[in-house]
Amino acid sequence: MGAHFGYLFAAYSIIFVAIFLYVMFIWRRQAALDAELRTLEARMAALTERPAAGAPPRPDA
Amino acid sequence: MNNPTIRNWLGFSTLALMLASLFMVFDYVPPDAEMGIAQLIFYYHVPLAWVAFASFGLVAIAGIFYLWLGDQLWDDLGYAAAETGMVFCTLMIIAGSIWAKPIWGTWWTWDSRLTMTFILWLMYGGYLMLRASADDTLQVARFGAVIGIVAAMDVPIVIVSVRLWRTIHPAVLVTKQGTHGLEDPRMVWTLLVSLTAFTLLWAWFLMLRFTQLRTRSRMSKLAGRIALATVAASDPK
Amino acid sequence: MRKDLRLELRSGESTLALLALSMLVLVVLVFALGAARVRSVDAAAGALWVAMVFAGMLGANRALLAERDNGAIRGLLLSPLDPSTLYAAKLCAALIFMAVAEVGAVILMVLFFNLDFDASMARLAPILVLGAIGFSALATLLSAITGRTRGGDMLLPILAVPIFVPALIAGVKASAAALAGAPFESMGDWLKIMIAFDVLFVTAGYLLFEHVVGGE
Repeated sequence: MGAHFGYLFAAYSIIFVAIFLYVMFIWRRQAALDAELRTLEARMAALTERPAAGAPPRPDA
Repeated sequence: MNNPTIRNWLGFSTLALMLASLFMVFDYVPPDAEMGIAQLIFYYHVPLAWVAFASFGLVAIAGIFYLWLGDQLWDDLGYAAAETGMVFCTLMIIAGSIWAKPIWGTWWTWDSRLTMTFILWLMYGGYLMLRASADDTLQVARFGAVIGIVAAMDVPIVIVSVRLWRTIHPAVLVTKQGTHGLEDPRMVWTLLVSLTAFTLLWAWFLMLRFTQLRTRSRMSKLAGRIALATVAASDPK
Repeated sequence: MRKDLRLELRSGESTLALLALSMLVLVVLVFALGAARVRSVDAAAGALWVAMVFAGMLGANRALLAERDNGAIRGLLLSPLDPSTLYAAKLCAALIFMAVAEVGAVILMVLFFNLDFDASMARLAPILVLGAIGFSALATLLSAITGRTRGGDMLLPILAVPIFVPALIAGVKASAAALAGAPFESMGDWLKIMIAFDVLFVTAGYLLFEHVVGGE
């Protein structure tokens, strides 16, 4: 009955690879988000340092 | 929701249970006497099915709340659920197909459950394509909610009609093993463990993706305000 | 509401060409299925429904295109109109279109598939009506969505077909039974499915349409 082992192995491998890939996908997106966040923070800093004509809005909590 | 402790806890317990389920499938539970070793795919196939359908339900519920309350949070949840559900649905079909080949001799069959899953997969695909194609984010969130609700409402009718459709054609193939086919208590335990493992995996994925989408939504709001403030601040004095 | 209906019907200028196109679907099916298969009622019923769904989708897309060109939708929204009423009007217009398409398709089906214009036509009629209601309800709601997104007309079948499946299965099965001469009792289950589908989607369309057109 071990004849079908190939199928069993294929099924489980695909499942785990897919899970791994999805986690990777989420991780990469997170890195991009973090980079964007840093850009935004930098811009905020630039705004608050300058004696602005209009008061900068308070950031969302 | 953003609590990293809960997230890590969830992640670790998911990992633990997934490993446990692997052990149980390969080392503990006896494979079905007639169907042979490939039958063991069943222990991952069933939880994948449960999660794929549950996720779709979540898309619909999130859609209802979004239309009702209008908070972007619900749309983010719906989108996360749709993505996660799509992953699990695809895996379920692949696993089912690989399961079918050695046991029924064919890669695909219009068995009622496989057909239902395929239709669910198409619905997921349609939803995701819709989300990808629109330009206005508020509008697309509303559209997504409507589609999610409409499709989920349809699911019970699809199940009934597909099942009826299949029973008229005398199935050469016996329908997949239901829970009553599990004679050995070890089978029941293994199934329960992998069910729990996948539910946790689902919850973990959802939490990760949902918090990510939330952050992205809030950031784009913030970016908008900063852009406005930058323009205002750079006005000639 | 009458104004909306007229507006909708006026956009059916190219209806004739559209109908011709969907009838050609039947021709393709006849050749695709082969002469032997053409004898069977199942093939006939299947081909009929393919032609209907095809016509329905083309019709929905065309109507939306015409609407967009006319800027009609904006005009309608400026009027103090309840979106649900708008949905009802569009639904009626779609129904009329589908009814015309169905009549044409049935006639061609009888001719191409060597059937008879007999009592089975009377049995077929309510089934086709139920199918038209269900499809129109669904397509009216969905096309309002897909019409406002990029690549919309390709998106409509992708969204509509999986959702329409139960009505399609039930419709084809019931139609085949009707053509074969079976009484209504035997197709009870299928009819129940179609009725449930229709009720569900007309209600859903009526309630959800405001979320689709609101906020333009």
